[in-house]
Amino acid sequence: MSAGLVVAQRFPLIIGRARGVVDGVDRIGAQTQFYAKAVFSVGDAVTRYTSETIRLIAQMSLGTGALVMIGGTTAIVGFLTLSTGALVAVQGYNQFSQVGVEALIGFASAFFNVRVIAPLTAGIAMAATIGAGATAQIGAMRISEEIDALEVMGIRSVAYLASTRVVAGVVVVIPVYCVAVMASFFAARFGTTIYYGQSTGVYDHYFYTFLSTDDLLWSFVLALVMAVVIMLVHTYNGYAASGGPAGVGEAVGRAVRTSMITASVVVLFVSLAIYGQTGHFDFAG
Amino acid sequence: MAGAGSNPHVDTMGPVMVSTGVLAKPFRGLGGFLAMALDTFVCMFRRPFSWREYLLQTWFVARVSLVPTLMLSIPFTVLTVFTFNVLLVEFGAADFSGTGASLGTVNQTGPIVTVLVVAGAGATAMCADLGARTIREELDALKVMGINPIQSLVVPRVLAATTVALLLSSLVILVGLAGGFAFSVYFQHVTPGAFVAGMTLITGLSDVVVALIKATLFGLTAGLIACYMGISVGGGPAGVGNAVNETVVFSFVALFVINVVVTAVGFEVTP
Repeated sequence: MSAGLVVAQRFPLIIGRARGVVDGVDRIGAQTQFYAKAVFSVGDAVTRYTSETIRLIAQMSLGTGALVMIGGTTAIVGFLTLSTGALVAVQGYNQFSQVGVEALIGFASAFFNVRVIAPLTAGIAMAATIGAGATAQIGAMRISEEIDALEVMGIRSVAYLASTRVVAGVVVVIPVYCVAVMASFFAARFGTTIYYGQSTGVYDHYFYTFLSTDDLLWSFVLALVMAVVIMLVHTYNGYAASGGPAGVGEAVGRAVRTSMITASVVVLFVSLAIYGQTGHFDFAG
Repeated sequence: MAGAGSNPHVDTMGPVMVSTGVLAKPFRGLGGFLAMALDTFVCMFRRPFSWREYLLQTWFVARVSLVPTLMLSIPFTVLTVFTFNVLLVEFGAADFSGTGASLGTVNQTGPIVTVLVVAGAGATAMCADLGARTIREELDALKVMGINPIQSLVVPRVLAATTVALLLSSLVILVGLAGGFAFSVYFQHVTPGAFVAGMTLITGLSDVVVALIKATLFGLTAGLIACYMGISVGGGPAGVGNAVNETVVFSFVALFVINVVVTAVGFEVTP
């Protein structure tokens, strides 16, 4: 009987705690290793697994399973940003008219939509559709031991499953985010001018005066960063799924929670880095 | 009784019927969901009520959602307050940043973070749990024993999601306001007194009540969607994963729509 076993039997509680801490550190290490491997294998994914990458791009932009019925990822992202854009109109118009500056609602749409609302909503919608779908697929492959089969056949599973999805996510996010921004602008304008009856001239004047190209380009950067983070988190959770069919479901839930938190924290820090202390904003136009 | 599951007769019909079956699939899902929701509302007021399951589920959902709540409400509010303060500082009205923080948090950031937490954390965990039970055929076993799974499993879960959503939204608002205060005062050098004084300038009791009503509706809807997806799981390991995926997507869509509608109605109702 080894000394370690004696200690473990003598102090079960302390050893259990210590093991929990060590396991936590171990998980962080495993994740970091996976992320590094996935990012460095992007070249492999593009050169060696080109057809898989292209297949994933097609699948992600239009969706899989039951989501195809309602128009796939693009439609869902567009729909969610449509609803948050409408929110800008409803909340902004009512609140601004309390202070008597409802003319400035075009400005609110150009400022808040671009800087905060559209990137965050698009990121969350992508985590829910593309991300969770990837976790479900990879998790199911892990449970039915298809990933082990890939490794046996000499296919690099991280490159083939994770890196291809990261590449596909980055490619897909650009058109999807275009749809998202257009939907949020359209909904805010439609709500303000048609539903609340503001004249389109007033709205367009303030909207175009304050719509900044720099902000718009930076918000694309936000969307790209979020796409990378979301795809990495979701593929890791699928890759590390365990515990039968129920485990896949748990992995998807855990992946959605983690990626939403990570994406919003990353957005916060990236926007603080972009806009800085002064806010990078000039009211004089 | 479960109101779920696909109809086995459809697949055996001719090619024409198969194509209409594909077209009708989303509608069948919607019909099944509405039937289950109706069953749930009927069973809610019928004895016996499973108190133990309700308490366990409430604790389960709260445990799963607590960390995401804290971790999501801080970045969201800080981002909103930061963007708002940039504007106010430019106008020379930084003293009103408390007004902006409470307006943003109570009216929009709070409910939206509640949506994300309830749908993204609570509903996914609930669907994964219930889906695992369906895969293991525990629900069929309950039915064989003469126990109605809607009454013993779905009703307590839906009520638990509603309760937790209501409680979480107040937590989200409190954490958000605290985060906004800390960020404005310590990072953007707003006077603390002015921040606190400005908080109740526009935002009042009616806004808080509307926010709580929103949260209740979010919890109810997300709970129903999660339970429907959970009990209609099928198709091996990929099935539970796909069900959780669909739960997130459908509950996000439903909850964002509810948020817009309740916001608009709230402005019409309150003076």
